[in-house]
Amino acid sequence: MVIDDLLKRFNDVVADPYAEARKRREGGQKVIGWLPTDVPEELIHAAGAFPVGILGTNEPIHLADAHLQSWACSLMRGCLEQGLKGTLDFLNGIIIPHTCDTTRMLVGIWRHALKTPYIDNYLMPRQVDRPSARTYLKGELARLKSNLEECTGQLVTDKALRESIKIYNANRLAMRRLYEFHGTNTGVISSRALYTVIKAAMFMDKAEHTALVEELLQEIGKVEPRNDERIRLTLSGGVWEPPEILEMIEELGGVVVADDLLTGARYLGPDVDTTGDLLDALAYRQLNRIPFGGFDSTIRGRSTFLVELVRGARAQGMVFLHLKFCEPENYDYRDMRKAMTEAGIPSIRLETEYANTSLGQLRTRLQAFMEMMGGNGS
Amino acid sequence: MSAPFKTAGLLKDLMAQYYAKGEENRKLGIPVAWVTAVFPVEIIYAMDIFPYYPENFGALAAARKVADKLSEYGEQQGYYNDLCGYARCGIGDTYADEHPVGKILPPDLLVCCNTQCGSLPKWFEAAGRYHQAPYFLLDSPLIEGEVSSLGKAYFVEQLWEMVDFLEKTTGNKFDLNRLTEVLKLASEATRLWNDCLDMAALKPAPFGFFDACFHMAPIVTWRGTQVAVDYYKALKEELDERVAKGVTAIPNERFKIYFDHIPVWPRLRWFSDLFADHDALVVASQYTHSWAHKFDLSRPMESLAEVYTEQFVNRGFEYRIKLKMEFMERYNCDGFVLFSNRSCKPNSFGLYDKRQVIAERTGKPGVVFEADMSDQRFFSAGQIQTRLEAFFEQLEQNSRRGKT
Repeated sequence: MVIDDLLKRFNDVVADPYAEARKRREGGQKVIGWLPTDVPEELIHAAGAFPVGILGTNEPIHLADAHLQSWACSLMRGCLEQGLKGTLDFLNGIIIPHTCDTTRMLVGIWRHALKTPYIDNYLMPRQVDRPSARTYLKGELARLKSNLEECTGQLVTDKALRESIKIYNANRLAMRRLYEFHGTNTGVISSRALYTVIKAAMFMDKAEHTALVEELLQEIGKVEPRNDERIRLTLSGGVWEPPEILEMIEELGGVVVADDLLTGARYLGPDVDTTGDLLDALAYRQLNRIPFGGFDSTIRGRSTFLVELVRGARAQGMVFLHLKFCEPENYDYRDMRKAMTEAGIPSIRLETEYANTSLGQLRTRLQAFMEMMGGNGS
Repeated sequence: MSAPFKTAGLLKDLMAQYYAKGEENRKLGIPVAWVTAVFPVEIIYAMDIFPYYPENFGALAAARKVADKLSEYGEQQGYYNDLCGYARCGIGDTYADEHPVGKILPPDLLVCCNTQCGSLPKWFEAAGRYHQAPYFLLDSPLIEGEVSSLGKAYFVEQLWEMVDFLEKTTGNKFDLNRLTEVLKLASEATRLWNDCLDMAALKPAPFGFFDACFHMAPIVTWRGTQVAVDYYKALKEELDERVAKGVTAIPNERFKIYFDHIPVWPRLRWFSDLFADHDALVVASQYTHSWAHKFDLSRPMESLAEVYTEQFVNRGFEYRIKLKMEFMERYNCDGFVLFSNRSCKPNSFGLYDKRQVIAERTGKPGVVFEADMSDQRFFSAGQIQTRLEAFFEQLEQNSRRGKT
């Protein structure tokens, strides 16, 4: 079946995430990695390099322990582990965005412990509401742009950047349509399939990914809409790892219809305007992404956003997927839970780790939650 | 630790007065602003706002060994024990039925600078929501390598945004001349504080890091006021007196140690005794030097931006290594001890590699130990003692080698 073949293609990409990057490197193209999830890939692309997401590993972590304490989150420990193991030797460069204290300190460790030729920070403003943030961010993007030019030896012309932005906007549009489709036709592809498509975008050639998503949209559009009685859920947190969690949710009678995850909706974010000053437009996109633990808006806070997200998606419950040791998420948790309770939305917090999560325990807790919500819980 | 200081009594009185003043001031119409430790508090003083330091509350609770208890109240609310111990104490106290170190002072407004870490903004955000008080973040991007004009311009622009925020929130007016006066007092106090810290370089020294931890409250809290100036004048006099009389911090000082970063508050005496038992005095830490800076009064806002953003708390890996090595040289240290503090990711992540680099570059022994600055549930005395004993043995070996 065509749909299954297409989904298999995305699955294969996620199973061997750096295949395309390695191929590009072998073909002589520069490859620049980025840590989740705010780095402006358009700039990397316009500088002639291939951008690739570095998203941790579910394999055991050993080497990183000599450099980074075990009470750093398993996402960042996993990224460092991959670097130390040589898995990322294909990289010509890596950009680490400062979203938290761990990413802020990781860049120094990376420089010391690894030989990646080009290592950079993406120093986003951590307040998003005041005029100073935008002025500063434009300057920061200009700095990043010129460092990328130096790394690749290719100038980022306005024309090239505009073209890159268009490719990325098209990709975001395709993924947004897939989200919308899944939200109204939950029975056609699984939640895990949806998120696998999003994740695959971080490793693939963007134009190729867009074409595949469009093909998928065409195919699933032909399927007869199915009446789906499952419980509609929203996810909030960092990453949907380990991936089995998504299957578990469906097995227990739920389906995911919205999220604010780094490897989900936050990756999409708003489009970039191609008509005016492009760096300013990239800054605007960054400042208008959905709120998350790393930096919140004081005008329209994250709790309000999440309640609206649940209601907008007609979801019945919220699952907080929090990585152990993720401070930003934990600081927000009490008030997010309170907002859910006040809005009459049942919620549960699951603490996860790459590689180490005890799936049995998660399943028991999820099952109780689903039963409480009236699902089959079996 | 050293024999009791005369100034210690003075400090106790001053701190008690300060804590009492918060609520009194509020009744008089003086707003209470929560501020962070490495923050341009000079602007707050210049605008006649009362600054309150929730971090001090955390340190106090930790030193009195009640951090774990207060933290549990926070944990029950969903602020789990992987978070910063100070934040858990402060948040916990808000929900607690008991207040063993007094109640944390509720804010009328909150102003936070994030050079120290990302925990403070999240704690302040949460407190702002709880107390329904306006919150302002003074954002400072990391300076990983060279100081950049971009980051500085951003910070200066935000200082003006903050002045605007403070004027609107409190109704108080900002005046540059008044700020200059405050900066003059702050410079005077920080100079005196630095002079006191430098006394630890004498051998034997009248004063060490663990003493400095006790005497640092005024420089954190009252820099920019006459109180801090008077306090450090008194402390400096007392230290000079001690030197004249031959009073030393520990009985038989043979080794000088650099310590990084903050003390394990509930075990301060345990550590200082352990060091003293091995004739070792901890003489310096980047921590107590966080407030040893100087302002340029001719350009107040730029100078504030430089002082507060170019500090080590906002610097990268290499800068921090160099700074530690500079302290080791200035204070003639024989070795270094690095505290991997579960409560403080920014000061802890990277220490494993830094230990190796500093040992290579200086040829001096160094050790990393694991604990939490406030929470004794993460304290394993046996493990730490074993590590430190091995370190002391290296010091002895080096000393014997030096003599032969």
